[in-house]
Amino acid sequence: MNVMIKFVLDYLGYIIRGDKKYYLWLGFLALFIIPWLYGNFMQLKYGMIVTGLTDQVSWGLYLANFVFLVGVAAGAVTVVFPAYVYKFEPLHKVSVLGEMLAVASVVMCLLFVLMHMGRPDRLWHMIPVIGIYNFPHSMLTWDVLVLTVYLFLNLIGGFYFLYKKYAGEPLNNKFYLPVIFIAIGWAISIHTVTAFLINTMPARPMWHHGMMPIRFISTAFAAGPALIIIVFLTIRKNTALWIEDKAIDLLSTIVVACLTIALFLTMSEVVTELYHPTEHSAGLQYLILGKHGLENLVPFFWGSLVAMVLGWVLLMIPSIRKNYNVLSFICAMLFLGIWIEKGMGLLIPGSIPTPIGEFTQYSPTLLEIGNCLGNWAIGFIIMTLLLKGAIGILLGDVKYSK
Amino acid sequence: MNKFNLGTLKMFLVAGVVMLGAPDAFSEEVVCFESRKGASEVTKKDISEGWPNVKCSPKTGAVLWWGDPFDGTQPMGEMPIEADYLKGEAVVKPRTGKLALYAICGVACHNGTFPVKNDDRNPRTLIMHQDVVPDAMNLQHGRGGIWCLDCHHSDKRNKLVDNFGNEISFDQSQKLCGKCHGPVYRDWRDGIHGKRIGEWASDGKKRWFVCTECHNPHDVQQGERNRGFAQLHPEPAPILPKGIYNKDHEQHHGSGANKEDAVESGDH
Amino acid sequence: MSDTKIPLVDITTRATHENNSVSEWRPADDDVNVDKPSSPSRRKFIKKSAGVTTASLIGTAALVTGSDNVQANTSWAEHFQGNYRLMSDEEKAEAIDRLEKRYSLEYEKEVTVDGTDAQEGVLFGYALNIQKCIGCRRCVKACVEENNQSRGDEQEIEWIRVLKMEKGEFTQEKLNDGYPGDYGIQVGGNAYSAAGVVLEGEHYYEPEAVPEGDSHYMPIACMQCEKPPCVKVCPVRTTYREPDGPVVIDYNWCIGCRMCIGACPYWARRFNWGEPQLPKEEMNPKTHYLGNRPRMKGVVEKCTFCIQRIRHGRYPACVEVCPVGARKFGNLLDPNSEVRRVLDRKRVFRLKAEANTYPKFFYFVD
Repeated sequence: MNVMIKFVLDYLGYIIRGDKKYYLWLGFLALFIIPWLYGNFMQLKYGMIVTGLTDQVSWGLYLANFVFLVGVAAGAVTVVFPAYVYKFEPLHKVSVLGEMLAVASVVMCLLFVLMHMGRPDRLWHMIPVIGIYNFPHSMLTWDVLVLTVYLFLNLIGGFYFLYKKYAGEPLNNKFYLPVIFIAIGWAISIHTVTAFLINTMPARPMWHHGMMPIRFISTAFAAGPALIIIVFLTIRKNTALWIEDKAIDLLSTIVVACLTIALFLTMSEVVTELYHPTEHSAGLQYLILGKHGLENLVPFFWGSLVAMVLGWVLLMIPSIRKNYNVLSFICAMLFLGIWIEKGMGLLIPGSIPTPIGEFTQYSPTLLEIGNCLGNWAIGFIIMTLLLKGAIGILLGDVKYSK
Repeated sequence: MNKFNLGTLKMFLVAGVVMLGAPDAFSEEVVCFESRKGASEVTKKDISEGWPNVKCSPKTGAVLWWGDPFDGTQPMGEMPIEADYLKGEAVVKPRTGKLALYAICGVACHNGTFPVKNDDRNPRTLIMHQDVVPDAMNLQHGRGGIWCLDCHHSDKRNKLVDNFGNEISFDQSQKLCGKCHGPVYRDWRDGIHGKRIGEWASDGKKRWFVCTECHNPHDVQQGERNRGFAQLHPEPAPILPKGIYNKDHEQHHGSGANKEDAVESGDH
Repeated sequence: MSDTKIPLVDITTRATHENNSVSEWRPADDDVNVDKPSSPSRRKFIKKSAGVTTASLIGTAALVTGSDNVQANTSWAEHFQGNYRLMSDEEKAEAIDRLEKRYSLEYEKEVTVDGTDAQEGVLFGYALNIQKCIGCRRCVKACVEENNQSRGDEQEIEWIRVLKMEKGEFTQEKLNDGYPGDYGIQVGGNAYSAAGVVLEGEHYYEPEAVPEGDSHYMPIACMQCEKPPCVKVCPVRTTYREPDGPVVIDYNWCIGCRMCIGACPYWARRFNWGEPQLPKEEMNPKTHYLGNRPRMKGVVEKCTFCIQRIRHGRYPACVEVCPVGARKFGNLLDPNSEVRRVLDRKRVFRLKAEANTYPKFFYFVD
């Protein structure tokens, strides 16, 4: 017990200390919390009328970010899977960082979902026993379940590892490995269920097809490791923790492979829907070409397509893939491209046109954007702190001493 | 209820035929029309505090909502055969009291001796009533197949007439219209044509709207319409959603490639 | 099925209630048995004794404190009430009583909140003659007058949407358009190019007069599906199908996740993005818990076939207002009802039948 208390104190003590760069980075992120506070206050006071959402497009930026971040959370498995299934040592050493990233992503997901709710004060209605949990009928209850369990799996797996490392004790593999392997499978489930959340609705023909889960997974496993590469390269540059080239190379290979599948699926969908367009194609037409003079998503679609294709081509070239000076930028470009593709590009045109054929547009308000940036900033703060602590323990800076 | 209600009086004043009651009483009245303009109307009043008899559209003056669906009604009386109703459960709003010339037309003009009774049913120039029947010489109702006396009683002008020469009240126009419009009449009796307000149960109390409350038999071809109902102003459109500033995007029907091109060049 | 008539329970009971100012419309005399276990007459009894029961401390507190605090206390109690469908009769009566107090204070008139349950042997259905509709939108506005939706520029909620559909055109000129050669494509483009052929409706049409000769009109509202996708997706079962057919929402239980809005193939659900704007003088004081009682921000609402009216025998507001009698309503289990007659005799279709939602709202033509 003593060790446990000491662990918490040492851990907290370590993560709040850092160099100037560290504080600058955290301070920069904290700046976004000011508009976030204001935005949340306004939204709670006046309702969601402060957003750009309408009855026509009732799912917007909040849910788009949610869907994307579930992918990022699931993408953490690209670190854990090779480490434990293929016993890939360069990643095995740092696999706890993947878990920390997953935790931060799920927290961001929850923030976005909370913000999406019209009545966050009534969330207790979803708690079984005191409320009603419409399981297994409602896909949203599945999503809540898988996300919550995934959060705990990663918290338990990650912090158990860190604690044992801190205390200098060996891992109890009978406990630890099942947690890890369940978490690996679970990562797939969170993004699959999130895809099911929207593709099980025949009312929205653009989403209503069986390709959605695999598209979700493939883009997630491109965006997730892209972010992880950026994080790893940043860690290499700024801390004493050295992440091997081999680890980064494997991740960039995964990005290329998954991106290939994602682009292929996008191509399949575009050809299927647009060769002979039916009502299923209206959303896609609006997204790609604009429809009836409404075209505010068109630049986003083409922008994201360019980013993804360009990134994909560049990463196919070994010399560029292994040039760590540009790899971060390519990964950032891909991350942004996939964010647009899955957020703006997939979620919003699903509501345009409405099920009874009304074409509208959606433009988020500044307040809404501020809230989203705030959520990201909070997520990155959590990620930074979690990674800092984990790195400290991995390096041996934080360890139990009597 | 007073047979000559306020609405009736107002009509009389407008017609300038009689002077009854005090004109001051009408100054604040809101009169709304029920189905079509020019037919049944209702004067807005409070049944009890905060509960009006009707709510009306500020834009068109149409009744939007009835606080009491049976306000000003009377039993329909003898119903045509086969109709589903319980006696006393079918009510209508009498129309005779609302017709401007009704009270005098059977006395002052068509009193049986003057004008000279004329059973000639062929269309000819009318001296009177051109205002009521704009296309009298080329009556579109029946496409030339009928004329005034096929519907109006030949010597009792405040009555309509059936196939056997029997009188029909202006309150029961369905008996007249049913002479020709058989299938519609059947649907109306069964409650699947026409308008009813009140209770939904098949044996519930309903106010039945009779033919002329919705259709104008003297003017069946008015305007651009392609239906049996006269054109009127629609209620306001919904407000445009956020992010949409005009309704141009709605004007692209068929959405063919050519039209899309035309739109992009601003030519539509 | 000879006796499908609804005993107009609540109205009769209310007529004997001392402060009954809103139930002016009364059907012809009905000797009704008012003592159904959950009927409102019982509710009235409970209401009178609620002040001395301890069934709910919070609820009681709300009742016995001064009127200044009533609003705050009732909303506090409202916040912790359960799902309406699962409440006991006592809890329902308390919830309704709280609401009546709060609404009466807020809207400065006596507001009644009805809790009448479904009648046995009744399944409500609706039929709309699409051939007759003239697109006048009176149904849309009548619905707003009846159902206490938010109105005004800031937030306008309408449950019915009327689409204007053009009849399209085939013209001689287009015979020479297109490619290849002489094969004209009437909808534009050529035989190889993708041309959307679906005629989309206009939602915001506003001509000087309707009906226009070149158009027909298509009103759309909640279809009260037998297999409602919205009910299935709701994570907290706040929306459910009532035994007599309508799909209703417990506004006090809704968490505002809008899954149901996404799932509805008919775009029938609306969200209170902000605090609803409902002027006191325009508020309809005769409400039902599951129907037209005033809503709060952040919850979803929709058509209930005017549950506050139909549970007492009255036609829905849109049926009554339709100037051309295009809207027909009644008991689907009664072969003599208007809606059944339509189904028996007319050519009927359901909107988006392919969605397998089994609407109880039918479109028909003569």
